[in-house]
Amino acid sequence: MAETTGEKKHAAEIELSHVTYRYSVGTPFEKAALQDVSLKFEAGIITGLMGHTGSGKSTIAQLLNGILRPTEGQVLIDGRDIWAEPKKIREICFRVGLVFQYPEYQLFEETVAKDIAYGPHNMGLDEKEIARRVEEAARFTGLTPDLFEKSPFELSGGQKRRVAIAGVMAMDPEILVLDEPAAGLDPRGRKEILGGIRAYQREKGNTIIIISHSMEDMAVYADKLMVLDHGHLSRYGTSHEVFCHAEELKAVGLSRPQITKLMMELQKAGIPVDSGIYTVDDAYEAVVRLFREKKQGGMA
Amino acid sequence: MESKNYIIDAKNLCFSYKNEDGDPLPVIKNVSLAVEKGSFVAVLGHNGSGKSTLAKLLNLVLTPDSGSLVIDGCETMRDDLTDADIYDLRRKIGMVFQNPDNQLVATIVEEDIAFGPENLGIPPKEIRTRVDEALKAVNMTEFAHHSPSQLSGGQKQRIAIAGIIAMLPDCIIFDESTAMLDPAGRAEVMDTIERLNKEKGITVLLITHYMDEAVRADRVVVMNHGEILLDDAPRHVFSEVEKLKSVGLDVPQVTDLMWRLKKDAGFDLPGDLLHSDEAVEALGKLWKKLSGEEA
Repeated sequence: MAETTGEKKHAAEIELSHVTYRYSVGTPFEKAALQDVSLKFEAGIITGLMGHTGSGKSTIAQLLNGILRPTEGQVLIDGRDIWAEPKKIREICFRVGLVFQYPEYQLFEETVAKDIAYGPHNMGLDEKEIARRVEEAARFTGLTPDLFEKSPFELSGGQKRRVAIAGVMAMDPEILVLDEPAAGLDPRGRKEILGGIRAYQREKGNTIIIISHSMEDMAVYADKLMVLDHGHLSRYGTSHEVFCHAEELKAVGLSRPQITKLMMELQKAGIPVDSGIYTVDDAYEAVVRLFREKKQGGMA
Repeated sequence: MESKNYIIDAKNLCFSYKNEDGDPLPVIKNVSLAVEKGSFVAVLGHNGSGKSTLAKLLNLVLTPDSGSLVIDGCETMRDDLTDADIYDLRRKIGMVFQNPDNQLVATIVEEDIAFGPENLGIPPKEIRTRVDEALKAVNMTEFAHHSPSQLSGGQKQRIAIAGIIAMLPDCIIFDESTAMLDPAGRAEVMDTIERLNKEKGITVLLITHYMDEAVRADRVVVMNHGEILLDDAPRHVFSEVEKLKSVGLDVPQVTDLMWRLKKDAGFDLPGDLLHSDEAVEALGKLWKKLSGEEA
């Protein structure tokens, strides 16, 4: 059915090494958004980047694809400084795709297909390859071909969001950074967008960074979680390694998934359900297993 | 029933946008909704279900194609309504939007809050009182002289709310006002909304995609394709798990787990559990029963 694109590319890792970023340098409003931050996004996985408003998430996103240049320190892709040759920084935009918050306001082409093709066009690809990429990106974002010739402005907000994400996916970047891709969508829309991003990552094997405020979503869709606090790295690890620090999360303005709180309350009430449950699916399995074992134990 | 108990009494509202060819695109289809003064109503619905259009109709930003809309006892679908009447009615129903950065206009917090009352032509002394009270109502008094740009998302939304409160509305419509906030910001804003409702008696219409926020309302209205699909207490609405999922919505995680345990694993549980303490109690009972068999 759906065409697979063959070989997985080499997955790239991207890191900030002792990065300081100051806004409005040389004015009375100078302010450090990041201060000597070192962190690494692992190759070939989805990392959920979380943190309170103003923790530096969006600044990091813009540093990763070269829109912002570090005041001090380096941004490294596979160990190479992206600013080694500042004149070539535009190429970084092709290697590191960035989907901004509320990207649906950035569509401008006459048709959906043209909008998705804009990035690949700028990369100088041939028409056949562009068409293949448009079709593939549309598939991952759940856009049906009957929408291709419509004006993006005829679409609903959720569909526009998909077009914007597809436009960056079609550039097939080694690293894809998405700033709140599911914000403002209804529950089904959230699942479809995040599920599509995961399917894309699993097929391509590339490196993905999703900025999100939803602990529930990140518990389901991210492989690793990174927590920022006031421009510093506060935690990095699996959902278990991050969500087990309940008090610390609360102190940095985040929280654990609701289902995790329920599991903790069950434990307190004397029902020995597993610790470390962060999704409804896992909670369902754990509770069913526990009660079955109890029942069988009782009958034995 | 007398309409005077209602801040909003909409009957058979219809509204269409026009597409490129000028053909009508119906968005609100025969919607009737009466909102009691002082109540807290959550409005759920998939993207494009008509929630925000309904909000704009209730706030008189848009005019219905047909139907009746009574705001605080005054029929708004009359030809003889003057601009002054409309301004007065709009003031009664305030709106807070999604993006905090699009709603603040001044460079100092207290000036931003004064913007609305100034436009209403309120005397300066009265404005001072209103601004101070509005700041107090959202717990932001200590930030009166800050620049909004220095505030967090949750704080900015509280300032946007204060700006509405300073116009002394009877009802505030929140159109996904927590969608862009981090968990702490969402909690701050939700606590503020709940307090304004309980303590100040302000009627709240909360449009949201977060099921855990809707649980805090007295009543939940679910929109689907421009019509009202469900309208009941949260406990009843969220027991309709399959119906909600079929229209692209969800239920709170606790409700979802309990429903799946009951339906897929045959657990003997009530079908309308909303809060985690209820879930703990229900599962605790089952657990004790199993322990009893063991003994």
